[in-house]
Amino acid sequence: MQRRRFMQAVTTASTAATAAAQQTPPAGEPIKIGTVSADAAAEPVSRFFTSRQLAVLRHLSRLILPASNGRPGAAEAGAAEFLDFLISVSPAPRQQLYRGGLDFVDAEAERLFAKPFPEIDEQQADKILRPLLTPWTFDPPANPRQRFLAELRADLRTATMNSKEMARATANSPRRRRGPGGAAPYWLPIDPTR
Amino acid sequence: MANQNYDVLIVGSGHSGGMAAGVLTQKGLRCLMLNAGPVVDFERDRKFKAAHELPYRGFGNPNAHLDHVYQANEFNANTWVSEKEAPYSYPPGAPYNWVRVRLVGGRSLFWARQSFRLSDYEFKAADHDGAGDNWPISHDDLAPYYSRVERQFRVTGRKEGLPQFPDGDFVSVADGSESECQKRITAEARKMEIPVSRMRAALGEGGLASSVNLSIPGALATGKLDVVQNAVVREITVDKDTGRASGVIFLDRHTRREMRARARVVVLAAGTLESTRLLLNSNIANSSGLVGRYLIDQQYGCTVIAAMPEARDGKANPALIGGGLFIPRFRNLDTKSKRNFRGGYAIPMSTGSTPDAKYFPEYGAALQKKLDSYAGACVQGGIYGEVLPRYENHVRINKEQKDAWGIPTLHIEARYGENERNLCRDAADTMEELYKAAGLEILVKSDKVNPPGYSIHELGTCRMGDDPKKSVLNKFNQSHDIKNLFVVDGSAFVTGGWQNPTMTILALSMRASEYLADELKKGNL
Repeated sequence: MQRRRFMQAVTTASTAATAAAQQTPPAGEPIKIGTVSADAAAEPVSRFFTSRQLAVLRHLSRLILPASNGRPGAAEAGAAEFLDFLISVSPAPRQQLYRGGLDFVDAEAERLFAKPFPEIDEQQADKILRPLLTPWTFDPPANPRQRFLAELRADLRTATMNSKEMARATANSPRRRRGPGGAAPYWLPIDPTR
Repeated sequence: MANQNYDVLIVGSGHSGGMAAGVLTQKGLRCLMLNAGPVVDFERDRKFKAAHELPYRGFGNPNAHLDHVYQANEFNANTWVSEKEAPYSYPPGAPYNWVRVRLVGGRSLFWARQSFRLSDYEFKAADHDGAGDNWPISHDDLAPYYSRVERQFRVTGRKEGLPQFPDGDFVSVADGSESECQKRITAEARKMEIPVSRMRAALGEGGLASSVNLSIPGALATGKLDVVQNAVVREITVDKDTGRASGVIFLDRHTRREMRARARVVVLAAGTLESTRLLLNSNIANSSGLVGRYLIDQQYGCTVIAAMPEARDGKANPALIGGGLFIPRFRNLDTKSKRNFRGGYAIPMSTGSTPDAKYFPEYGAALQKKLDSYAGACVQGGIYGEVLPRYENHVRINKEQKDAWGIPTLHIEARYGENERNLCRDAADTMEELYKAAGLEILVKSDKVNPPGYSIHELGTCRMGDDPKKSVLNKFNQSHDIKNLFVVDGSAFVTGGWQNPTMTILALSMRASEYLADELKKGNL
């Protein structure tokens, strides 16, 4: 850039910055612009699981945490779609655990019933899932398939209990304060370093 | 021009630093307090939110660099020290959970407020059963300070008259009614010669028992305290001619600008491991070779959950089940209670809880049926377990790794041994026996504990003692090597016991600060 053009660019930028700095909010009530959440206005785009894996995860979510007692289940809470996002930004071992687990139950459905997992019924799915259930131990199960199911059960529950749908469903419940969907103090970043 | 006429420079602003500032300014001394993080504004920095309003729906950012902070969740993630900014290391397969807060007030902002005294079973452990060394002080030496701290922090509790669970100056509380479940467990415990009490806890003021509301404001009100936030202290400076501490070098947390602060006396109160790291990085006060050695903490975990059959299937009610119980140490007090381990443990217990879904190997409607059946019908116990002091459990400087301010980090080597494992087995077996005797149905029994550090009660690494060859500090938390250097946090501990150490840290800091002020007045520092 020639020196004259460079100086011109610097001058323009600095003038714009000065102009912006000269803006002052009007006196009186502070300006407040209401917003809605992205979830309220749009639907998530799946980015991590294949469409087949996501279909398996959706079927698992209906089986593992169905709606009950007037409360939404994992499907109603969009738990599978949320987990697609969460696992996509998680460390590689967790990604591997999920992908491996979803592919495994799908392959088992094909092997046992000659159908994809999303097309088998509750009783058929139980034949695949029940052997993977383990009593709780302090350390997670060593078997990756069993560990997958243990983590999936917990993750679906958290994604469902913490969903907007659950918050709505339990809004008038006397036990809501610290229960599903309840509010708590959230700490904002405090004087963060940049 | 900087004001360089400080009498005392205090590094850290948590319980111990706050107490030191409170005592020293009351004695008329001019103090400078440096803290690595910023001041918290509860109104500005906290906001009520529902979990679904958070970016990760309450799971937390998987890449938040809080891998060892099991206590972290998405609501509080911004309060903990990032392991990316301030890393540390440990040997493969031997993790240590170093849980840190650098806000002004430190971990006093978030502690669980459980308030116990150590007893002479801990102060004189070597005399009792050879587990560890004796402290150079006894409970009697510290008792007047404990009393003052308990009044300041408004500690509630029930007096029991047990030597292993010394009573304090408690603010009175109504005993409250006991549920059937509490009565039944208490009765069975008595048959097993196990004492049952209630939790002892600091009420503080307005729900907060922290240095930011109980000690620092009073110190500021004297006009004799200056607090500098975002001051990351790198090293303690020593006068080459006199060998005395002259102050510190610190870096601004944001700009990394280097600053030098001076004072007549330096008090370290940065928390056990940060104070020790500072001494090691400064390469001072270590003629004993023991700075960093004898790292102790307390083991937390060992879960046993049981259900009261009569309270299942929607029949739980406050008369039947509910309320907490607290079993103080009862093992190894005499030959009768002796077991295959040294030291002891306490059992905090809650009744009337609902077990987490993870404890039932079920899913779908069957799982929901279980959860409904056990709702409010459970009793849950864990342990606060003693960890023996061992020379080999230690920290040292890792010259290969530096933090975001270019300061060498800590390498932490701490492992639990056979004594700790036997203690946990005994605790799990005892809880099971007690629950069964009380007619409860065992749901979960685990004698496993979390990794070292999890309790956030790291102690030792600058132990106190009378012999300068076997200790770093004297009985007033004063360096044997450098007379105008004091370390008033948990690093002075010789044994840790099972007790939350906060009351002891506060009492020691108060005692050390009064001694410091007197010595300064006498011209001895």
